[in-house]
Amino acid sequence: MIEVHELVKVFPTTEGGENRAVDDVSFNVAAGEIFGLLGPNGAGKTTALRMVSGLLTPTSGWVRLNGHDVRVDRETAKRSLGYLTANTGLYQRLSPREVLRYFGLLIGMERTAVDRRIEVLIEWLDMSSFANLRCGGLSTGQKQRTNIARALMGDPPILIMDEPTLGLDVLTNRVVLDFIRAEGTRGKAIILSTHYLDEAETLCDRFGLLHEGALRALGSLAELREQSDRQRLSEIFLHLCGLQEHVLDHGLENGGRGASDAEDCGARSGGSSSDGGVS
Amino acid sequence: MKRYRRVWVVYRKELVETLRDRRTLIAMVVVPIVLYPVLMVILLEALKTETSRRQAEHYTIAVPDEAHRQWLADVFKRRDDERLARQAAYAQATEAAGEDVDDVEAGFIAHLHADQVTIVVERTRSLWEAVTDQTYHAGILVQPPPDPASPADPINRIIQVIYRDIDPRSEFVYQQLNRVLYDESERIHAVRMTALAEQVYGAGPHDALLQPLRIGGLSTASPEKQFAKIIAMVVPFLLVTMTVTGAMYPAIDLTAGERERGTLETLAVSPVPTGQIVAGKFGVIVTIAMISTMLNLGSMTAMVHVSGLDKLASQTQPSRQAESFLVEQMIAESAADRSSSGTGVSPVDSSGGTGVSPVDSIYDARFSQYDYLQQRQRLEEQAEQKIGFLTTAAPVVLMAMIPFAVLFGGVMLAACSFARTFKEAQNYMMPVMMAAIIPAMIVSYMPTVRLEGILLVMPVANIVVLMRELFLGQYDVSGMGIVLLSTCLYAAAAVTVAAKLYGHEAVLFSDVGSYKTLLRRRFFRPRAFPPVAFALLTVAVLFPVYFYAQSGLISFDSSGARNLTMVALTQVMIFAAPVVVLAWYLKLDLRRTFSIRLPRLWHCFATLLLMAAIAPVSNLLQQIQFAVFPPSEALRDLVMQQALLFGDQPWWAILLVFAAVPAVCEEVLFRGFLTAGLREKMSGLKVAIVVGVIFAVFHISVERILLFTLMGMVLTFVCLRTGSIFPAMLIHVANNGLLLAVQESGWLQGFYGLSGSLDDLGTIPWNVRAAIFVVVFVVGIAMLATRGGDIKEQAGMALPPT
Repeated sequence: MIEVHELVKVFPTTEGGENRAVDDVSFNVAAGEIFGLLGPNGAGKTTALRMVSGLLTPTSGWVRLNGHDVRVDRETAKRSLGYLTANTGLYQRLSPREVLRYFGLLIGMERTAVDRRIEVLIEWLDMSSFANLRCGGLSTGQKQRTNIARALMGDPPILIMDEPTLGLDVLTNRVVLDFIRAEGTRGKAIILSTHYLDEAETLCDRFGLLHEGALRALGSLAELREQSDRQRLSEIFLHLCGLQEHVLDHGLENGGRGASDAEDCGARSGGSSSDGGVS
Repeated sequence: MKRYRRVWVVYRKELVETLRDRRTLIAMVVVPIVLYPVLMVILLEALKTETSRRQAEHYTIAVPDEAHRQWLADVFKRRDDERLARQAAYAQATEAAGEDVDDVEAGFIAHLHADQVTIVVERTRSLWEAVTDQTYHAGILVQPPPDPASPADPINRIIQVIYRDIDPRSEFVYQQLNRVLYDESERIHAVRMTALAEQVYGAGPHDALLQPLRIGGLSTASPEKQFAKIIAMVVPFLLVTMTVTGAMYPAIDLTAGERERGTLETLAVSPVPTGQIVAGKFGVIVTIAMISTMLNLGSMTAMVHVSGLDKLASQTQPSRQAESFLVEQMIAESAADRSSSGTGVSPVDSSGGTGVSPVDSIYDARFSQYDYLQQRQRLEEQAEQKIGFLTTAAPVVLMAMIPFAVLFGGVMLAACSFARTFKEAQNYMMPVMMAAIIPAMIVSYMPTVRLEGILLVMPVANIVVLMRELFLGQYDVSGMGIVLLSTCLYAAAAVTVAAKLYGHEAVLFSDVGSYKTLLRRRFFRPRAFPPVAFALLTVAVLFPVYFYAQSGLISFDSSGARNLTMVALTQVMIFAAPVVVLAWYLKLDLRRTFSIRLPRLWHCFATLLLMAAIAPVSNLLQQIQFAVFPPSEALRDLVMQQALLFGDQPWWAILLVFAAVPAVCEEVLFRGFLTAGLREKMSGLKVAIVVGVIFAVFHISVERILLFTLMGMVLTFVCLRTGSIFPAMLIHVANNGLLLAVQESGWLQGFYGLSGSLDDLGTIPWNVRAAIFVVVFVVGIAMLATRGGDIKEQAGMALPPT
């Protein structure tokens, strides 16, 4: 379903140098599989996902969605894609219903099909109480539900989610996670990028650990455990990224959610991690 | 069709969203409909109050003694009496003619009346002191002192008016005193002359003697037109400002606003090409700009109508009525004079009888002046029947505003696409607003500027002047054509740049990369062809540059050789060099961009046929065009001037500069760079049409625009079919060179059946020879059409650039 091959993205830096934000990343995601792309902030997750969804042009390498090369066959490839992030905005002066209709028509659906699909999604995501209000006045949870509905308008076989639960309350968090699980069981290929490692641990079938632009590990939880000789995903992550000692020094290992830990150590580790390449 | 449906989807959604935006609504609706009339009312009221205040105000004038006071009071009184008498006469005359009597004093011009002035005798201080410390508005000192008893004595006097230059009231009094005293001087003059005349010619009225010349202005413009003159100065500027203001918020909101709120990413990930999204948004901006224009125009029309300004203009203004009255009076008087004197040489015998009929002797003068009055009356009646001037002119002005809205919609979209936040976009909008408003303002202060020369292609200024000329009804179609075409060219470039920027990743995500990637060569990826946006932007920039260069560099004062060099240099530096450098900078594949490859043998044959036949065929087309649209004198003059300028130069230099260099340079730009940019996105036919039209626009000759478009299309077609630029160059050289050579060589004239004479413009050479050349030409075209193909399909050219 999703094929990512030797993806590289180089950005110019302000000093005139180059920054390899994504460095030679390759992985595949099959239908029905939830792939967790994990890494601290600045690891290159978002850049990688933007290249996968055709928003950024890779410096080299290629991506195929549903068999279509994203660069050559951009529109067709994008048609099989649903894209969701935490900070995706909505049109403030339109209602959720209008937003859904807009995107439905944009992806080329027929008017009647659009209307039917909207009703289905509104019922499924329990949106009827706010479907006709302006998006500007909705709560974060309501907005995110609208966003999920938007990503699902065309019932795409591929879903790419970049930190979809960032900043959500417990209830909406539940809704999003349930939705991801449900879509996975319906046979969709899903990439979930997150730094909430416990979330990823319960949801994902396979993982890719991204650190400083490079993929340090790739495989199912069992495979990763075997590789690293660690049990919990956060430990595996730190170990495989070569960050273990550093973090233990700071006594951060037993935090409930690995996110902030990973983030912190990612930020602090600086250039000290060149020794831990796994992939 | 589906493509356009998506554009429509985007358009409709953006329009709905924009119309729900309070800021847009305020700029678009509230300003014109509420604020604007309010401002106008306040302004009008302020003007009226100022005038009436000045008239109601009391002024004090200091004089040194009682004699001065009496004298000045008499002067004022005499003047008032005279004016009243004139008004009474006028009222009587209009009443006799069965018309309503207007107040002659209506309007905004203030007069100082006798009852407004208090004349005070100041005995204790000097007048200088008294005026300086603001006790009085002015002081008057007459030397030798006046004698109120004999207001026209033969003594000449000097009058000094003392006033304060910085005090507007004091200055007003000074100006009014100036007038009053001038009239008094005239009166004394008349009295003295009458006395002299009586000495010489004896008693009797000698008015005619004293007024050898009486001047009455006869304006042929209708009152409507005169109002139009004012409107034409103000309205274009206001409309330009209001349109830009109205379009500003949607432009920001639909681009930077979308980026800031995080909806752009979602939009970019949906399977719609950026071009279509931009097209939809662009449509909304233009729509809002036009709605804004319409509301403003409507509001202005209503304002003018309600406030009665147009009534004031469409009726005769009081002063104008008085003028007509004066003219009638003059005719009557001169008729009386002439009838009595017979010869009209001397008024001496004018006291005599009224025997002879005056009609014959003054028939001519009388006819023309009565004609004038009748004409005037007719125009006035017409004007009264119309609802108001603005109402009738509004549709035309709206039409002229469309290209402006298109241009600024594009420019704003491009500028805003560059911005990452709403605030940043607002900053970018400032220079754009300036770029619209300042030229409009400058041009509106230059009422004598006509739509010609450089102004034709100067963005914004040309539209403003065009609007003005439309108002005054004195535009010419060819000028209008150039304005519209050049504006469309600029707009197209702006929109394509906007589309290009909008989808660019450096602009799409503020957190990655920087704008350096947009401009630095080392971040460019090598490509085969220039992007469409670059190609269009390049021609849009080169067009005014070329226009300025052409009109600026060639002068009649310098030598022919210098001018020839300048022409050649212009061609090389403007057409060829920039695009070659740009192609290198953009890391384009030079060979493919400029179609540098040898044509096939078959195509060479076709090229030879076309080379042989192009000159007579293009001549034929030109003659047909001139037969339908006769060439203007200006064009003939231009050709003559060129002949004069370069006539003394050696033939090879002429051929080099007017045939070879342009052929190579123009082909490099049009068939090379531009065609390469367009052909990625368009079918061959569309490329040919677009390149043809742009090629024609560059030749800045509206009369031959069709011809040049056709030639441009043919050359583009040749280039696309052969995949090589050389055949097009050769055909271009052949055309220019042969048409030049025909003027020199008798043999060529005979061979082609062409004449080199200017007088034959517009005579179509219908003969067998012409027909043969047409056939040869068609065969050449057919040879190209049947074998070979668009460059894209040929081997090695099929893949998109990587």
